[in-house]
Amino acid sequence: MADSTPAIELRHTTKRFGDTVALDDVSMVIEPGEFFCLLGPSGCGKTTTLNLIGGFIPMSSGELLIEGRTVTDLPPHKRNVNTVFQNYALFPHMTVAQNVAFGLRMERLPSAEVTRRTGEYLDLVGLAGLSRRLPSEMSGGQQQRVALARALAKRPAVLLLDEPLGALDLKLRKAMQTELSRIHRQVGTTFVFVTHDQDEALSMATRIAIMSGGQVSQVGTPREVYDRPVNRFVADFVGETNFLPGTVSTEGGRQMVVLSGGGRVAAPSGAPEGSATLMVRPESLTLRSSQEPAADACLAGRIVNVAFLGNHTRITVTTSAGDIVAIRPHGTNARPAHPIQELGEEVCVWWPADDAAIIAD
Amino acid sequence: MTADTASAADVAPLAGPRPGLRRRLERAAPFLPGLAMLTLLFVIPMFIMLAFSFWKTNSSFDLVRDWNLNNYARFFNQPTYIRTFAKTLVMASAVTAAGLAISLPFTYFLVRYVSRRFQRAVLLAVIVPFWTSYLLRVYAWQAILGEKGALNQFLMATGIIQQPSTLFVYNDLAVFVVLIYVYFPFAALALYAALEKFDFTQLNAAQDLGARPDQAFRHILLPQIRTGIITACIFVFIPILGEFLTPTLVGGASGSLIANLIVNFTRQGQFPEGAALAIVIAVFVTILLVVFRRSLRVEDVVARG
Repeated sequence: MADSTPAIELRHTTKRFGDTVALDDVSMVIEPGEFFCLLGPSGCGKTTTLNLIGGFIPMSSGELLIEGRTVTDLPPHKRNVNTVFQNYALFPHMTVAQNVAFGLRMERLPSAEVTRRTGEYLDLVGLAGLSRRLPSEMSGGQQQRVALARALAKRPAVLLLDEPLGALDLKLRKAMQTELSRIHRQVGTTFVFVTHDQDEALSMATRIAIMSGGQVSQVGTPREVYDRPVNRFVADFVGETNFLPGTVSTEGGRQMVVLSGGGRVAAPSGAPEGSATLMVRPESLTLRSSQEPAADACLAGRIVNVAFLGNHTRITVTTSAGDIVAIRPHGTNARPAHPIQELGEEVCVWWPADDAAIIAD
Repeated sequence: MTADTASAADVAPLAGPRPGLRRRLERAAPFLPGLAMLTLLFVIPMFIMLAFSFWKTNSSFDLVRDWNLNNYARFFNQPTYIRTFAKTLVMASAVTAAGLAISLPFTYFLVRYVSRRFQRAVLLAVIVPFWTSYLLRVYAWQAILGEKGALNQFLMATGIIQQPSTLFVYNDLAVFVVLIYVYFPFAALALYAALEKFDFTQLNAAQDLGARPDQAFRHILLPQIRTGIITACIFVFIPILGEFLTPTLVGGASGSLIANLIVNFTRQGQFPEGAALAIVIAVFVTILLVVFRRSLRVEDVVARG
């Protein structure tokens, strides 16, 4: 089987709420077994997409296929997808085990099978000993696991997760990210995960769809969207980026970018001539002392802020082309003999030409 | 030696039996005013009535302290009384059922689909009738349902009927309709309080897990608003057992309920008979409350009322 049936396929899906277009002619294919992230700022249409797949809201036009079957008009209880809700939506009058068993009981499975599977999935999420607790007697992280077990116990084709880590504190969120990745590998179910947190998306997803204004800006692996963002929005939303407006021109056989605020730097290879915006990630930048003889064209500036952030230092440099942020990782290998990070120091900002990219607006 | 014991007592003042008693009294003190009021205004009158119910009146309508069970025997031997009591129970059940049938969808849509600000306005509209007296409201219904009332005028103006109808008032149906009107706010407020705390994404979750909408309603919503429903039932059912004004004003000769009998006894100076009947109702209500006690905690009624 060269091309298997996609787990989810959206075809020209549009959703309008009154005059507002929440989702504008979106098409998307999610392959079986993927950990697919819908990433974007609030109001970008990511939750609408999830609700359409779950069947909680009707679509205005378009088509939705789950495992090759058109389900556009099916109610939620007839779709082979299950959801982990943002607020978990656990049933407070039922114990943890009863919560997990609810979906299985609705399927009219024999009670022995219900018990067996409830135990299996509580085990999977690491709550085996707490099956008789009420949701109100559990922590946020534990409730999260119950919601996960409850949805997975149905063995759905696709598991939908609506910002499930949003309510947890940072440390717990990091731990749950690792946990979710493990569970995904273990059950092999397709996960569709909605988040506005780019760290979450980058760390867990096999592919990310970056959404903005009801449309999909880019779909790709975390590395693709980080390294080769298709436009300025994606570059800005995923990770931190320096944007330098300028003009590409050829000087003495070499392509250069003449920056709007003054200064010139080497252009990335294959850059078309004309006005352009250059993007370069903070970790690509090298700061040199302005006294050092510069072999290559670099951008002169002065350090105006140094922030020590534990595992790295974030240095802001004011140049003629605007403020530029550089990141210096900490570690014995990365430490130069004379680290340049004194406030007010005159420096020269340099980067390998091909670490930068010309970006569309 | 004596100095030693004295200092030991000073160090551990809570150890002795006397301070313990004092502490217990201090803890009980806040309950004393309430206890006193209950005793004075509830327990003592109830006992007086209980005593009356075992006495009798002589030919000149004086109370005679002659202990007997005749008043109770008369109730249970008189088919009209039993029938009126049964009818009262049927009426109370019917009004409770109808009140729930109206107020449950009403509050459900109010809580789920109406914005918070508008909810307050609607709730205010539900409460507004309490600003006028009960008597006035029932009189108003008399005016609406009467022979020359608004309903007849409307039906005649639209040509549905030619002659004014006398079927709308002075019967059981009129009592039923007016009682629903009177008790709807109680049921609605009790249910609103329960529904307001409900997280409706749970219904989405239930459907997501394979429940049909009716199953989601039955397995998820109903159990969580059960106390609200029971509270609503109690707020409607029990007061109707004591309803005499509505039956008097819109029920006519055929529409009287059990409380009308008590009123009649009292007007005729037959206090023991009236007291016996009141005790019968009180015992019945107590049994009812004991039955429901398991599913109802007092704080729910108080907090939600």
